[in-house]
Amino acid sequence: MDITSLKAWEMKEKIIKKEISCKEVIQAHIKKIEEEDSEINAFISLNKEEALRKSEKIDEKIKKGEGIGLLSGLPIGIKDNIASKDLKTTCGSKMLDKYISPFNATVVEKIINNDGIIIGKTNMDEFALGDSTETSYFGPTKNPINKNVVPGGSSGGSAAAVAANMVALSLGTDTGGSVRQPASFCGIVGIKPSYGMISRYGVIPMADTLDHVGVFGRDVRDATLILDSLKGYDKKDSTSSKMSNSEAFSIVFEEDKGRNYLDGMKVAIPREYIDLVPADKKVQEQFDKAIKVFEKSGAKIEIVSIPHLKYAAEVYYIIMSCEVSSNMARYDGIAFGHRAEEYETLDELYINSRTEAFGKEAKTRILAGTYALTGSKNAELYQKAMKVRRLLKEDYDKVFASHDVVLSLSSKELPFELNSIKKTSIESYKLNMYSAPANLAGLCAMSIPIGEVDGLPVGMEITGDRFKDRTIIKAGIGYERAVL
Amino acid sequence: MTYKTIIGLEIHVELSTKHKIFCNCPNEFGAEANTLVCPTCLGLPGSMPILNKEVLEYAIKAGIAFNGKISNLIKMDRKHYFYSDLPKGYQVSQAEVPFCDGGYLEIELESETKKINLERIHIEEDTGKQIHSEEEETLLDFNRSGVPLIEIVTKPEMNSAEEAKLFLDKLRATLKYIEVSNVKMEEGSLRCDVNINVVDSETGKKSIIAEIKNLNSFRAVVKAIEFEEKRHIDLLEADKNTEKETRRWDEAKGETILMRKKAGASDYRFVVEGAIPPVRISDEWIEEIKTTLPELPQDKKTRFMDSFGLSSYDAGVLTQSKDLSEFFEETLKYIDDSKLVSNWIMGDVLRRLNDDEIEIQESKLSPKALADLLLLVRDDKINNNTGKKVLKEIFDTGNSPEKIVKEKGLIQISDEGELKKIVEEVLNNNEQSIIDFKNGKDRALGFLVGQVMKASRGKANPQLVNKMLLEMMEER
Amino acid sequence: MISKDQVLHIANIAKLRITDEELEPFMEKFDQIIEFVDRIREVDTEDVEPLYQVNEDNELLEYNETNQMISRQEALQNTQEQKYGYFKILKVVE
Repeated sequence: MDITSLKAWEMKEKIIKKEISCKEVIQAHIKKIEEEDSEINAFISLNKEEALRKSEKIDEKIKKGEGIGLLSGLPIGIKDNIASKDLKTTCGSKMLDKYISPFNATVVEKIINNDGIIIGKTNMDEFALGDSTETSYFGPTKNPINKNVVPGGSSGGSAAAVAANMVALSLGTDTGGSVRQPASFCGIVGIKPSYGMISRYGVIPMADTLDHVGVFGRDVRDATLILDSLKGYDKKDSTSSKMSNSEAFSIVFEEDKGRNYLDGMKVAIPREYIDLVPADKKVQEQFDKAIKVFEKSGAKIEIVSIPHLKYAAEVYYIIMSCEVSSNMARYDGIAFGHRAEEYETLDELYINSRTEAFGKEAKTRILAGTYALTGSKNAELYQKAMKVRRLLKEDYDKVFASHDVVLSLSSKELPFELNSIKKTSIESYKLNMYSAPANLAGLCAMSIPIGEVDGLPVGMEITGDRFKDRTIIKAGIGYERAVL
Repeated sequence: MTYKTIIGLEIHVELSTKHKIFCNCPNEFGAEANTLVCPTCLGLPGSMPILNKEVLEYAIKAGIAFNGKISNLIKMDRKHYFYSDLPKGYQVSQAEVPFCDGGYLEIELESETKKINLERIHIEEDTGKQIHSEEEETLLDFNRSGVPLIEIVTKPEMNSAEEAKLFLDKLRATLKYIEVSNVKMEEGSLRCDVNINVVDSETGKKSIIAEIKNLNSFRAVVKAIEFEEKRHIDLLEADKNTEKETRRWDEAKGETILMRKKAGASDYRFVVEGAIPPVRISDEWIEEIKTTLPELPQDKKTRFMDSFGLSSYDAGVLTQSKDLSEFFEETLKYIDDSKLVSNWIMGDVLRRLNDDEIEIQESKLSPKALADLLLLVRDDKINNNTGKKVLKEIFDTGNSPEKIVKEKGLIQISDEGELKKIVEEVLNNNEQSIIDFKNGKDRALGFLVGQVMKASRGKANPQLVNKMLLEMMEER
Repeated sequence: MISKDQVLHIANIAKLRITDEELEPFMEKFDQIIEFVDRIREVDTEDVEPLYQVNEDNELLEYNETNQMISRQEALQNTQEQKYGYFKILKVVE
């Protein structure tokens, strides 16, 4: 038996029942990483010795019959924009390539407190600015399913690590789809919970009002397991919500096994996707097939209109780049981060350090954000975008008043080839229309695999209302049960 | 030609809360460099600001004390600029929605009470501090980073250095009253920038506004305004108006120096502080804060006028500082004579405090001591002049008035028998004065009283001496 | 169309340098971005309040009690130069 191919919850059961030791689990994963990661490049830094040491402690705990945390010694990968004391936190950037955080993110503390074992920090697009993990200073990550294509991004390292069985579970961040799109590209489950569900303290911000911590697992149950261990209000993060202190979501799996959650579920499908940014034909077919599964299981499908979806990509791009330009301002080469070697004045210290250490995409977005905030553009673009954001949110409020979930594709395209010359046309910006609306409205959303096209995975996005995370988990588990 | 000066002030006040504005690092002055810091006030990646309720309480107190309208929505924004003492590349402040809108303070001019209106008051975080070493390097200390500030922006309604000074005095007194700041300019807990220009009253022509920075004392504010008034008038007269500029006060040279032209300079690119969700605060909470405020100077002044029969001016001076007003009221507990106490405080007590450049609570005079002293004066145990000498002695030594009077034998001689000898002797030695007096020269009486006082070493009861002299001259 | 000067002005505000070779392609890209984002102008937003945060009507306000202080050594551990417990940079001319 290859331990690493088990689902996280299966591994957990075996560890608790002492069928396998935690140390064996960790050793098997480290071996997997040693075999595979030189090619896939999912990790920026690893913590092998510490992981092994911890696994022995967990085994000891289990042996003594002590209480064991929710994550019971499972190997976990963490995106490298999440601050950790033990390993450097680089954000995939030259800017922070030696940066050691003096504090742990709340999610890191929670993993430790829940007896999860952090194997390493995963690769990502620089400062999470990208959708392919190719903008990383530490080189691109390859998709374990097909090494010629990208794993998606920006949390590509975390998605690839789970898909390649190098970890059981992983953490990503999602500002406009950076968990759901790579989950879709790597054929795994990714959940971006509601805004405020998981503390962002210690998560290096890209755009505060859009940033979320998200999770990856091999199935819905896996993703729910780690979600349960992370969620909850945090005094250190004012944007975290007390609404997140709800009962564990995993209760769904325990209450009645095999229940058909799709029966009677009210499903909305926005017509704007089909009208405005139609997906590749074969990809669309997979989506239609998945809808059929919902329908057959008793879900009521309705085509709805979300009028302001039409502008979601634009609103997203403006707000995102404005907040990015702001969050990138602290990287000035003074208290931390890259400092240029040559400069004559303070201004040159700033300019040289930032110009040397930021990649192209980071620079583009900083400049775009600066543009949209300067002078009269502040009102015309930034303030205006926040108004349209409200209109979009209100559109969703209306839909969720009479529907349980919204279904769409996670991405309209298949995983693309590495180094493919990315279209820089308006059409490519439009892609954000698929995943960014959930960030703009703070909705919970999940990407779940629904099939393949040409051997490449396709994912469906299940979106729910704010703090109705349980509903999307039920929809996800319902779908999984229906297609089994 | 006549010119009118137009002055607006921007005042930064550090709030004396226990903790910083967005973290719980202690808000203290003078600690070793970079020892009062955390990820948040250092702006480390991933750190998050938490708006401290205590800061809002302090700020709202100030807003209420300055008669402003407190907003129910507290929203924070980021103001961007790169500078070495600003670790995040932005300062968290308030842009279009300040926590306090409008407001005013009243200042006492000789002829009238003038209302100076405020534009707004907002909260923001302080920056770190830089030290320029002699070895061509700059050292940064972030202990001050994240100390809470309120920025008070006045309307351009002051017309002289004197008015600006009176405004600052009142502002400082009020902030001290409500105990939200140490308001020490020398420690930087109160900082003031001046916006100034002049207008030609006849032609209406205006000079371009200059902003003056680096003012480290109220005296510097006054001097800089006076300097600028003249500079602006010269510019207008030479018809050499410049662009809007920022200047700094050079204390040593006693002049302002151009720092930068303002036009097209800073664009702060305001963005919502996404890590701090806007907070709604209730009217109940604002009311609750209001109840914790002490009596404000303006209210206290009115009460002093009403219940103690003081003049507007006297009441104004006595309520200028909370400590002084409390000293006054405390003294009245021991001696029920508000007029007498007020006169003495307004006169000799304040003069002495001014000379020593200290506050009343720093002096050796206690309310009880002043009351005891005034009781001696009122009951004619000592005369007025002796009282002044005793007061000086109290300030110098802190001894009680009884002790001083006793040890120095200063008790007033009000016994006719005891005084008779002295009066007789003085009359004997000043025949000419008696003649003068009888010839209608009233001044001669004053001279004779003075001679008796001198002979008694100041202890004689002057009223009694007066009476005795008249009687005894009549007899001659 | 965005002008060279505009781009260079923005770059200067953002403290980034754009080389001469980078300038042309960048301007092209920027024009695309501007064309793209400008489309939100057509949305009628009269009487619409900006949405600052998805979870509104926050009444959460607390006294800061979670101590997160770090040692001076930790504060300085990621800077390039330090002296006497201070962060050190070149002489800043005011």
